[in-house]
Amino acid sequence: MKTKILEVSGLNKSFGGLHATRNLDFALSEGDLDAIIGPNGAGKSTFFNLLTGYHRPDSGSILFNGENIAGRLPHEITRMGISRAFQISNIFPKMTAFHNVRSAVQAQMGLAFSLFRSADKSGNEQTEEVLSLCGLIEKREAMAGALSQGDKKKLELAIALAGKPKLLLLDEPTAGMSLEETQETMALVDHLNRDRNITVLFTEHDLSVVFNHARNITLLHYGRIIIQGTPDQVRMNETAQKVYFGEQY
Amino acid sequence: MPTTTEKRASTEATERKGWFRALYGRAGLSASVLAVLVPVALLAPLVAGEFSTVVGVEILILGLFALSFNLIYGYMGQISFGQAAFFGLGAYATALVCRAFQASTGEIGYFQFFFALFLAIPVSALGALVVGFFLVRLTGIYFAILSLAFGELLFYLVFSWYGFTGGDDGIQGILSPPFFRNSINYYYFTLGVVAAAMVIIWRITQSPFGYTLRMLRDNQRRAAFVGINVRRAMLLNFVIAGVFAGIAGSLWAPFQRSVSPALLGWMQSGSPVFMTLIGGADFFAGPLVGSMIYTALNAYVTRYTVFWPLTIGSIILVIVLFFPGGILSIIDSRLSGSSRKAEEPGRSGSPELANDRAVK
Repeated sequence: MKTKILEVSGLNKSFGGLHATRNLDFALSEGDLDAIIGPNGAGKSTFFNLLTGYHRPDSGSILFNGENIAGRLPHEITRMGISRAFQISNIFPKMTAFHNVRSAVQAQMGLAFSLFRSADKSGNEQTEEVLSLCGLIEKREAMAGALSQGDKKKLELAIALAGKPKLLLLDEPTAGMSLEETQETMALVDHLNRDRNITVLFTEHDLSVVFNHARNITLLHYGRIIIQGTPDQVRMNETAQKVYFGEQY
Repeated sequence: MPTTTEKRASTEATERKGWFRALYGRAGLSASVLAVLVPVALLAPLVAGEFSTVVGVEILILGLFALSFNLIYGYMGQISFGQAAFFGLGAYATALVCRAFQASTGEIGYFQFFFALFLAIPVSALGALVVGFFLVRLTGIYFAILSLAFGELLFYLVFSWYGFTGGDDGIQGILSPPFFRNSINYYYFTLGVVAAAMVIIWRITQSPFGYTLRMLRDNQRRAAFVGINVRRAMLLNFVIAGVFAGIAGSLWAPFQRSVSPALLGWMQSGSPVFMTLIGGADFFAGPLVGSMIYTALNAYVTRYTVFWPLTIGSIILVIVLFFPGGILSIIDSRLSGSSRKAEEPGRSGSPELANDRAVK
């Protein structure tokens, strides 16, 4: 039995009358590559927001490596080793791609408040490595805001990787990407998971991506878990077909 | 602070002509402008008259004040309309200590004088720490308005505390030691202090913390998800900016030989905003260049016309409407050959407030 990296139990979150997360129980083991799927408004993003501290849960606990992180602040959770890439690219538009990543690398190195050393003297190798990994090394000097949609998503992932995460949360990592970029990105995700031992949890609307890459799938609907299981189990499930797949699968 | 792209792009331009262009290609616009300004600043009082030397001191002091404002605006992406509060705190700290020393002997010694100047640092830091504690909870227009409110609060505190600050009479007759009573000497002293302060500010903008500020400017939410304690970073920067405003204020008091509550008021807070917009918020040297233009115009235009506010208003109007990146961005785009390319490509364009809470 592998060690649990993430254990969520009894998680609840409401916004006014909307119960976005209902009694959610969820777990990830070290080395997992799992997906969360569900129709729009199912609570996928809310779940990520709860895990990363953007929202404070109403009740329930979130154990990360055994430590309860429910209610901790985003920067604290990030420093503990959970990185997140956003659905809509959430980058630093008026900095170069290189500075986007290097600033995140330096934050991870604990240099964010370093006043008198030169920023040019630390984190460069790691920055270059991350940029190469994400296929952005050629565009290192481009202003992030001027990158193409697909490149912005790659940069999004690169910023998340700069934090040297143990757990990587990807919110629709291939949204807005071409078919080719989608394949590249998911190959990278596989590589990160397999060779760098990063546990990955992602959401995705593109079901072929989900079924080809995720080892376990959780289907959310109205903030509740409908089914959890291997791709085959989820594919065959009747409720899953009714609420999400429709006639497609 | 040029990025490598900009350097690369402009090395091509370098071949064309001119040593300034060559320097620009290598070191970027701010460094080139400063390289031109340093000898000018060193020689100016030797050739210029008394009046111009006095204007020079004002340019330097207000330039430092504007640089402190731009740490908040250009680098961190927030507008402080209360920066004069810390300028004023620094000025009053120095004035009060000078007065206390004078009261006993009728003169002030060099050590006492430097102590009075130095005291502006802890006083303005403490003021900025208290104000900043509340301010960093907000961004955008709310940050701007609350900074204005705190500025006015401190103004009224100084204005109405007759027993301690002299209220609206201010403090008159501040002495400096004999050496500094000569305006040329005071000019060189100010030049030294402002230059040293600029070196420190430059280092800060090039440090990892400087890049943390840029992250906050571009995208606060993401900065938190990179592991930045956003409020702490904003607070630290606010205190740093407050300290440099306080140093500027401390130089101001013995130079003017008097202080008044107006130094903390919103009119005084407006001048670094104007200077920064005129010079260019995207450039390290922008606020200083803005101070040169604003302060010199103020000094010389008021000789010929009483319509100074009208004059400066028109200039601001033209710059904001037609050259929203400021004077330096005009020079920069001419030199680099591209339409618009800022060194610090943060705030060019319209001076709208960043408010990432609206963008979900």
